[in-house]
Amino acid sequence: MHLKYESQLREPLVNGDKNYHQVTEDICRPIEVRPTKLWYIGFFISVALLLFGVYSVYREVTYGIGQWNLNRTVGWGWDITNFVWWIGIGHAGTLISAILLLFRQGWRTGVNRAAEAMTIFAVICAGQFPLWHMGRVWMAFFVFPYPNTRGPLWINFNSPLLWDVFAISTYFTVSLLFWYTGLLPDFGTIRDRAKTKLRKKLYGIVSFGWSGSTKHWQRHESLALVLAGLSTPLVLSVHTIVSFDFATSVVPGWHTTIFPPYFVAGAIFSGFAMVQSLMVILRKVFNLQDYITLGHIEAMNKVIVLTGSIVGCAYLTELFMGWYSQNKYEQYAFFYTRANLFSPYGWSYWGMMTCNVISPQIFWFRKLRRNLYVTFFMSVVVNIGMWFERFVIIVTSLFRDYLPSSWPVYYSPTIFEMGFYLGSFGLFFTCFFLFAKYFPVIAIAEIKHVLKTSGENYKEKVGDIEKEPVEEFAHQYAH
Amino acid sequence: MASIKEQFEIPGKMRTWSIALICVGLLALIIGFATKGISTDQHQKDIFWGTLMYNSIYFLLICNGSMFFICATTLAMGGWQVVFRRVPEAISTMVPIFGLIAFVILMYIVFGMGSHTHIYHWLDKDAVTNDEILKGKSGFLNPGFFLLWTVLAIGLWSLLGWRMRKLSSEADDPALANQDAGKSFIWRNTVTASLFIVWFGLTVASTVPWLWLMSIDPHWYSTMYSWYTFASSFVAGISLVALWIIYLKNKGYLAYTTEEHLHDIGKFMFAFSIFWTYLWFSQYMLIWYANMSEETVYFKHRVEGAYKGIFFLNIIINFVCPILILMKRSAKRNYTLMTFMAVLIIFGHWIDFYQMVMGSVRPEDAGLSWLDFGIAFLFVGLMIFFVGKALAKKPLLPVYHPFVKESVIHYT
Repeated sequence: MHLKYESQLREPLVNGDKNYHQVTEDICRPIEVRPTKLWYIGFFISVALLLFGVYSVYREVTYGIGQWNLNRTVGWGWDITNFVWWIGIGHAGTLISAILLLFRQGWRTGVNRAAEAMTIFAVICAGQFPLWHMGRVWMAFFVFPYPNTRGPLWINFNSPLLWDVFAISTYFTVSLLFWYTGLLPDFGTIRDRAKTKLRKKLYGIVSFGWSGSTKHWQRHESLALVLAGLSTPLVLSVHTIVSFDFATSVVPGWHTTIFPPYFVAGAIFSGFAMVQSLMVILRKVFNLQDYITLGHIEAMNKVIVLTGSIVGCAYLTELFMGWYSQNKYEQYAFFYTRANLFSPYGWSYWGMMTCNVISPQIFWFRKLRRNLYVTFFMSVVVNIGMWFERFVIIVTSLFRDYLPSSWPVYYSPTIFEMGFYLGSFGLFFTCFFLFAKYFPVIAIAEIKHVLKTSGENYKEKVGDIEKEPVEEFAHQYAH
Repeated sequence: MASIKEQFEIPGKMRTWSIALICVGLLALIIGFATKGISTDQHQKDIFWGTLMYNSIYFLLICNGSMFFICATTLAMGGWQVVFRRVPEAISTMVPIFGLIAFVILMYIVFGMGSHTHIYHWLDKDAVTNDEILKGKSGFLNPGFFLLWTVLAIGLWSLLGWRMRKLSSEADDPALANQDAGKSFIWRNTVTASLFIVWFGLTVASTVPWLWLMSIDPHWYSTMYSWYTFASSFVAGISLVALWIIYLKNKGYLAYTTEEHLHDIGKFMFAFSIFWTYLWFSQYMLIWYANMSEETVYFKHRVEGAYKGIFFLNIIINFVCPILILMKRSAKRNYTLMTFMAVLIIFGHWIDFYQMVMGSVRPEDAGLSWLDFGIAFLFVGLMIFFVGKALAKKPLLPVYHPFVKESVIHYT
């Protein structure tokens, strides 16, 4: 039999004296009691924001894109900034569930469920922006390639914008499947614990008749592996293709070959920051500190300092190449409009640098990685920084076009542009509040899977193994 | 219980082979030097020194990849690699040796060859005065900075690598079995590993490939270039680790390193081959799509000219083969297939470095000659000789490493 052992030097992934039953109790409790007042307040604020977003979109659809302040050179503004920002946030969940699964990072089990849910909601939010930006949204189906009656008018297969349609819809589909299949055993658990008929019926339907038989588990596990394999390239491809939206264009500041991997790193960076924001609150509100431990928070902060530094390396590479290229246009884009604090949008570049590159460096220190206040504050700072990054890329490159006569135009959003963005927050949090109420926010079955290796009380039991000489140990347990 | 073999003794055959390879390499070096190296024909001279240069840089970077692997797994608190950790450690002892060789070659090119070389056009003072672009870059592309940065880069890789290996020796000491000692050991490893990784990011993942390699085409630039170089050298580096592990296994060492560990190394080889391809594609596609002559100039003669064959060979060996062959689980657990793939990948990325350097030094004609293989044999011979020695210096199993037991029961 495979020995359940890990080094005593590793922090437990589940704290406290837990057994399988206790795990089920702890995680199911929030679903089985009435929501708190705090939940209602949060939920209604989210719905209100969502309604404001709906109104803003209504204005835009009824009166046209003129409701926004986009202008002759700044044809993309807050809308595409927000699109890329949300898509980026939607990277952490699938990274945690797929890539960290392949890397066998046990700590992913504490946070993967909520992170995957967050991913799905973030992608839904992201999708709104290009959709409503079309103006005539009733023509949206034109993006799909099918033989049509519009003459020989096919979509442009050479356009990265079209690749986005495929990349994002594929990503969304696979992420949704991954998340949902993971939920099946847990839905089964909730169904079996249900006290009312309606509840039993509803959770019975969504659990697809999960019985917990060996056959089910076997198929469940193979499916998880297949989906992990599929999702891994998808995590990279989505933001790669988003970066192509810019990098294929001959626009100074956009056309740079490092964009694909650098966008992916940035996406993971912002995704983890959003997971941190949510987890720090969630663990407290639902009393899940034993499952989302300081060790989990620290691990995610390590990912943040790593990806933040990768992004920093890319920023500096770009800046250096802007100079090194000795190309007048590149130099103008990087040194006049961006890195120059006194240019019209200089503030956004330095905001980005401070939030994304300089501030995450505090996570080199263990004490700060394990401090919840610092973590929460930094997670917000990082997401502000990542919003700035997209704004810098889009607006600073566009507002200084090749045509100097258009230069004086300064772009700032209207209330409805901002309303649309706020509305996307409303959508995101409405979904998240519903998720937190009706879904198990931690994967019960997966926690049970690591419990006997990494649970605090179980680790104590195998402590003596540490003292055995290696050869004896190997003789006994190696395969 | 029979004791396991954990003290490597250099087999006579290995010594003979390494010395034979070194002799063949030296012969090629001497003949090359006599016929090309001191030739009055600048073109021949460039070929000789260019060949030395790409080989020395390639072998230096793939051996440094071993130290990168150790530091990255240390920072990630990895446990699975501990049973074979001494192997990449031994490979990383090549960094100072190959570093010194690369340093001498680079310095000769910069300071000894005069300004007529085609290797670094930016050395030509007349060209720089008459060329606005080169003049603008001279703050970065100048001999003084080149010297300084090269010394710093190689020096700190060697120093921090030495420090990591020194720390690793503590794992042979029973004192480490104590929990507190283990904690402090992990902590000190983490500190040095993070210093190494940061310096690695500032050199291999950014400045060094610009300075040593990209500046061969002094007008051309691509922001992806350094990450691409990193991916190319790292995947070959991990293949080198695999090759040594398989060799040691065949000789009866590394009892606790099983096909489970090999499987995971195979995953690294597979994943980083795909990652390399991803960077390759991103760089190529974006330049192709924008179709600006100052960028496409790099690929023009590589895709259409003399390097066409090598250009496609590069993708076939480094992408098509790994994805098709290493995809299967059974392939990654098969010693023969893994040996074949490791050799193929090391060769493939050697070809990649060849086209990166020689494609710019001599764009008009391509072709691997006896000189290329001869010099490569020299480096391979040196590597076998010195890595063998380094392996024999310490036990192969860091018995008291805090994660060693996790590694022993590792299964994938």
